[in-house]
Amino acid sequence: MTVQLTAEQVLDEHPQASVLTIDFFDTLITRSVAQPTHVFAVMEQHLVASHGDFWRGFAVARVEAEQRARHNAASENEHRDVTFDEIVDQLAQQLHLARADGDMLMTLERDTELQLVQAVPFGAAITEAARARGLRVLVVSDNYMPATHLLQMAHRAGYSWITEADIFVSCEHDGMKHNGMLWPVVLSALNVPAGSILHVGDDARADGEVPTSLGITTYVRDTMRTSHRDMINTAPAVLPLSRIEAQYRNAMDDTHWDVAEVVGGGLVAMIVAAQVIDAHFVVGHRSVAGVHFAARDGYLAYQVWNSLRSRGWELPEATYTAFSRSVVWRACLSELTRDNVGRFVGDDEVLTVARLERRVGCALDSQLDRDAPIDASTARDIVLDNVDAVLLASNSLRTRLLTYLTSHEVLLSGHHIVVDLGWTGSTIADLAELVASESGDLAVLEGRLTGLYWEATPQRMRIAMHGFAMDEFGSTDDNVRLLGVIKLLEALVTAPHGSVVDYEEDGTPIFVETAPELRAYEAMMRQVGNAAVRGALAILDGTHPSGVTAVDITKESVWAAIMQVGHSPRADEIELLSHVNHVTSIDHEGNGRPLIAVAPTEPSKVTLEDLPGMYDTLIHRHWLQGSLRALANNADSRWIADEMYKLHTMTSPRWVP
Amino acid sequence: MRTYERPVLLARAIASVQLQKFTDWELVIVNNGGQQAGVDAVVRTAMNATPSGSIRVIHLSERVGMEEASNRGLADSDSEFFVIHDDDDSWDARFLEVAVAALRSSPNAVAVVTGVTRIYETFRGGTVWPVSHENFPLSRGRLTYRGMIGGNTFPPIAAVFRRSVLNTAGNFDSSLPVLGDWEFNLRAVVAGEFQFVPERLAHYHTRTPESDAVSGNSITIGEDLHRDVKLQLQDRWLKEPAVNGVNKGALSIAAAAEALTGELQVKTPIVHVDIEHIANRTAEIIKLQRSSRRIARSVRHPGHGIRAVVGAVRRTIGK
Repeated sequence: MTVQLTAEQVLDEHPQASVLTIDFFDTLITRSVAQPTHVFAVMEQHLVASHGDFWRGFAVARVEAEQRARHNAASENEHRDVTFDEIVDQLAQQLHLARADGDMLMTLERDTELQLVQAVPFGAAITEAARARGLRVLVVSDNYMPATHLLQMAHRAGYSWITEADIFVSCEHDGMKHNGMLWPVVLSALNVPAGSILHVGDDARADGEVPTSLGITTYVRDTMRTSHRDMINTAPAVLPLSRIEAQYRNAMDDTHWDVAEVVGGGLVAMIVAAQVIDAHFVVGHRSVAGVHFAARDGYLAYQVWNSLRSRGWELPEATYTAFSRSVVWRACLSELTRDNVGRFVGDDEVLTVARLERRVGCALDSQLDRDAPIDASTARDIVLDNVDAVLLASNSLRTRLLTYLTSHEVLLSGHHIVVDLGWTGSTIADLAELVASESGDLAVLEGRLTGLYWEATPQRMRIAMHGFAMDEFGSTDDNVRLLGVIKLLEALVTAPHGSVVDYEEDGTPIFVETAPELRAYEAMMRQVGNAAVRGALAILDGTHPSGVTAVDITKESVWAAIMQVGHSPRADEIELLSHVNHVTSIDHEGNGRPLIAVAPTEPSKVTLEDLPGMYDTLIHRHWLQGSLRALANNADSRWIADEMYKLHTMTSPRWVP
Repeated sequence: MRTYERPVLLARAIASVQLQKFTDWELVIVNNGGQQAGVDAVVRTAMNATPSGSIRVIHLSERVGMEEASNRGLADSDSEFFVIHDDDDSWDARFLEVAVAALRSSPNAVAVVTGVTRIYETFRGGTVWPVSHENFPLSRGRLTYRGMIGGNTFPPIAAVFRRSVLNTAGNFDSSLPVLGDWEFNLRAVVAGEFQFVPERLAHYHTRTPESDAVSGNSITIGEDLHRDVKLQLQDRWLKEPAVNGVNKGALSIAAAAEALTGELQVKTPIVHVDIEHIANRTAEIIKLQRSSRRIARSVRHPGHGIRAVVGAVRRTIGK
């Protein structure tokens, strides 16, 4: 665990300093959103609400306008920074705006910055301590906003002692910190030797390497950057997660960035809150015979639901209903042929007869050694040779499953909702048919699912179902993106116990624990789950310190949260999740597969011809986007990720259209 | 919503209506001579989860033309606005919200048309999956009389009409086997302006050639029929008296010829790129499907009412 130096400790280490210069954005002040470009998302939210749909997509356009303006400015004079006017001119050209609209946007951006600005605790502490020690304190910033505006922001953040003369900003001096051209201006104005200046900032080059090369003492502290992701992915939908992560960033500024806490209290809390909100919506609008949170995807939401009940919320009693894809499929098995035997044995699996028996739930007649390794083809032949015994075992499992479902009142007459992560809805559809058949069509199940992949379409004629975060009516690219993150979400939104693989005669579910899942649980998943429950409860009862409430939990914001973590993960999230294995085999035995695919040992020996096969493997067996980002983060394997991004454009980090 | 023997696509189309943020809607499904039980089962399943709107089904005992089916549905409803929602298309959840707001804020407009995303998908064995998508070319100019006279410029799924336009333009022409929407649009646009909302909120689904024939689009399966009917319509208009010195048929022929020339000039490289792109994406998605199918293929018990009606839909992919 890295504990940051306190302000006093930093000053103690540099007793020679008579001047403290401090960077402005993300050192002295920050915003109540996770990254700078999310300010434009707040603007877009306001513009659409006040002036209509024309302004949808403004935030991305604003980012692109700044990129073009910076390019043009650098072409003209590589030393100078871009100005606010130049950025707005670019924006006006792109959006065909009148001058009055440009002026309105400039005013809105300044107002939005003032609305969101807040002091960085460390920035406030070190400037206060420096002033108390008699140091002169100045602001040195690379930015396009004029000093007059930075002054307003500083005052709004509580730095009432700062004057305009204390601020040196690049856009007013034809030089930047980044290229070293602003520092001579500062030194000349101060008329002190470089060695008497201590500079504090968050950029390793502009606030570290460059001033150090000029003889200035520096201290780089980038904790405010921990919550940054790709700048282009900015739209109003990102704001709820952005605000939650900004709140964590502020709270963890002087300790350490606790990734498991942030992932649990951010993305997972939003998904869990969404599951509860959706179920709450249904019971508030229709008569419902039962609310069933599906194991394991619904475990966290079930905890939240019960907590809300205990706090006096008027919610019906719900059940935590243990079923899994494999037990439902086995229980519904009525014929076994070469077409469907693959469900018992994957193409690349190496099993034993003993393990195969546990999968099918009965003894298998075979001449082979029970503990000798057998390939998939042999295993399938053995299952087909014992088809009667396997079907008998399935029928027996069906009886035990029905006993369990009866005890959980799933067979009661009426309309039931099942809360699950989803994706295709086929397991719930299978279960719904079983329940309908057993109850004489009196009990009807409806799926309330977080996300629905395109393959959900055929299930809609079997069972009513709705996707909260995404329906299959999204674009092709979004469907593929969802497919790529499914493994991640199944691993994150889960329970402390393993999957159900069978039921006792009295219907008691039999959960199987696997070593990798237990290790992951102890290492971080317990914390993720606890943070998710705490976070979801705070969101739902309106006490979340970020200000995010149930109103903010919409299809769009949950989808955006999934994409922020699942599609454009930060390096710290990849590091955290690289220890997680996803166990998906029908018997839930074995080590499963790592969420983040193991990189090729010799990336230079991978050929372009290998890439289609690698892509196929990544999207089906791993967390595609996290694996690609892990490859991109390594210099040796970066080329593989780059080629993948080119070949499959929907995997590129940009996902906001 | 017109439907005929496509229960899987119908289920998706109904869900697309149910998911609308605008909730004051009424859905009239015209089962155009298909099996009743299958449609009823799909509708019953969908209605189990509908908190808003209402769904009614009109079962026609014999199959009639698409436009007659539309007219039957319109006659059975009295809403302020209407949409012809084909059973294979879908909407973004904001479609009705945006389109209705646009119509309400533009009293002179008789219709609002949104931007369209064309989605290519393969439908086989009861399972549908996307292959690629592209932006459907549409602009304000293509929604004017002159813009539309040369050929149909948008699919029905993209348009919301003010019902009062039926009083001046009349109903859909039941005699037309195809292109009834084009012919109707040309009468409607004379009655009033078509507003354009560029946001792509309508999804126009097109099945790829590998798809089962029963799922095909009228425009891709019956290209010759479309060509014949277009010629017949132009002949019909040539016989009509000229308005302000301009004959509708002559104008249509000239505009179509101009559009064809324009297409020939610019389309060749685009077609080449698109085909290659689609082929790659098709191969990619099919590969994904195969692998996914290996992992997740399921066989369910017989006995459910819906399955009894639609026996073809026996295997689905997924979790």
